[in-house]
Amino acid sequence: MPASSSRTDRSARLTRWLVTLPPALFLVVFFLIPALIMAAASFREPGEFGGLAPLAERGFSLDAYRFVLDDVIYAWILAKSFAVAGLTTLLCLVLAYPLAVLIVRSPKRRRDLLVLLVILPFASNFLIRIYAWMIILGPLDLLYSPVAVIVGMVYVHLPFMILPLYTNLEKHDPALLEAAQDLGAGGWARFWCVTWPLSLPGVLSGSALVFIPVLGMFAVPELLGGTGDLLIGNLIKEQFLDNRDWPLGAALSLLLTLAVLAVAGLSSALTRNRGQM
Amino acid sequence: MRLALLVLLLALAAPARADDTLHLYIWNNYISPETAARFEAWCGCRLKQDYYSDNEEMLAKLEAGAAGYDLLVPTGNAVHTLIRKNELQALDHQRLQHLANIATAFADPWYDPGLRHAVPYATTVTLLGFNATKLAELGLPTDSWALIFEPAHLQKLKGKVTVLNSQRELMAAALRYLGHPVNDTDPDHWRAARDLILRAKPYWATFSNSTYIKDLAIGNIWVAHGYSNDMFRARADARAAGRPFAIGFAIPREGAVLAVDNFVIHKSARRPDLAHRFIDFMLRGENAADVSNLIGAGNPNRAALPYIRPEVAGETALFPPPETLQRLEMLRDLEPQQRRLMSRLWTEIKVK
Repeated sequence: MPASSSRTDRSARLTRWLVTLPPALFLVVFFLIPALIMAAASFREPGEFGGLAPLAERGFSLDAYRFVLDDVIYAWILAKSFAVAGLTTLLCLVLAYPLAVLIVRSPKRRRDLLVLLVILPFASNFLIRIYAWMIILGPLDLLYSPVAVIVGMVYVHLPFMILPLYTNLEKHDPALLEAAQDLGAGGWARFWCVTWPLSLPGVLSGSALVFIPVLGMFAVPELLGGTGDLLIGNLIKEQFLDNRDWPLGAALSLLLTLAVLAVAGLSSALTRNRGQM
Repeated sequence: MRLALLVLLLALAAPARADDTLHLYIWNNYISPETAARFEAWCGCRLKQDYYSDNEEMLAKLEAGAAGYDLLVPTGNAVHTLIRKNELQALDHQRLQHLANIATAFADPWYDPGLRHAVPYATTVTLLGFNATKLAELGLPTDSWALIFEPAHLQKLKGKVTVLNSQRELMAAALRYLGHPVNDTDPDHWRAARDLILRAKPYWATFSNSTYIKDLAIGNIWVAHGYSNDMFRARADARAAGRPFAIGFAIPREGAVLAVDNFVIHKSARRPDLAHRFIDFMLRGENAADVSNLIGAGNPNRAALPYIRPEVAGETALFPPPETLQRLEMLRDLEPQQRRLMSRLWTEIKVK
């Protein structure tokens, strides 16, 4: 029956196309095209009134890149932003992991309520929640400091760490832990040898969901930070909104994207290596 | 046939009459609801407002193709930009009978000589707001930029000062303190201003564009570099809350930045007729006064003065006497390469 099998083949292929087309289209329209526009803008010159100088008059130039790369200050801001993002991710992980374990171990009927509580803050506006932190941190003399920035970043992004961890931990087979216990493993050994390695995909996706948005965040440092808390997100925002220098802003965004891709590539290479061991 | 044509004409005309709406793109809270209602009653049309929170936002939205706004309310430098981009309709002075109400100091501005495109509506000064009670206790001067730049004063104010998160505004204050014009473009003067700012920065709490209103009013901050109408609001808030201190504000004697917001008619305006009627309505003293009473804006309209509450009109920081007015300057836009250098210095200020 070669004919009929080729027909199911074809219809399967068609279904696959139909299912993958919308998200692919979405990525092309809302990620690829804007990214290409950004890349093109970074090789142009700033226009007199903002925007870009006419291509016919000024053509393409490497000025924006020369300006950024000639100057150690931009590399320093990038490094500092990575440090803030890394610290935020780490703190989120430390706070979220026990909570996710707790939710998974609580009775089934209460889990939904607990997950709902985790996402409940999203019901109120982001700015209002940040202003609430200003009221809390003000009397503690912590407002307008690097500590306030980290607190705000962790607070805003914590749910993005909890949820992937919870979905991952929920799928673990309790029999594995029982088997480990039967074989004489203590609490720590059970955690390090069973739960932690199994939860790594959740840890990684949670970390990505925290690390990458933190790198681009400008509202938290602007509202909670002090006089020295400029991150790469603020710098990029300033180029577009305050300074009307699109090429410089585009070049900085592109370098940031490349740096993030490099980190993502590095971490995936590391996990692959560990998988092979 | 003729009847059919008449019916068609009527059908076309009816919705047009129902659509007697003037579209205004304006700063938030810049026209009181009472003024808007009075205009609607007087003109027999509707006034629809959309809001922006800074000139860049408005320019960006127009750049992206936003159409259908009849009137905009840009600040002087943005008016200049719009004129050079050929985005504005020339005003018909025949239809603005009350144009002579504009005070001479504002009647021939650099951004639009002869007011051919723009009619000044309200003014703001970038100045110093302060906790008057606290500063009197500390024995500090309130009429000089030295308050936010001199370590000798700042030692008593550590962590109690905010400055605007705006490269142009803060650099302008520093340039004036060093004796240069706010639109100075000499890179050496810019670097000197940067050094002045960096020397003072360790004493400042943060760069803030809006939170200083609240911080001043509740006593968290004792000195803020910011806009006169914001200081007016902070003072009113502190009074309303019965705080045990008073908020004051003053224009530093070295000079400061003046911003003048203007009514202009966009080239895509569908109802320039209504726009002219609106501008002329707002030029009448009793209507022009409302914005000053509402938010403590300075007023370029001399016929408005009798209608402005005495505690507003008597405030010299809002209505500066001529000798102070001479020391106020409007910001002009920089060239792209100058903007890049300014941004580089600003980044250094932020990071160090």
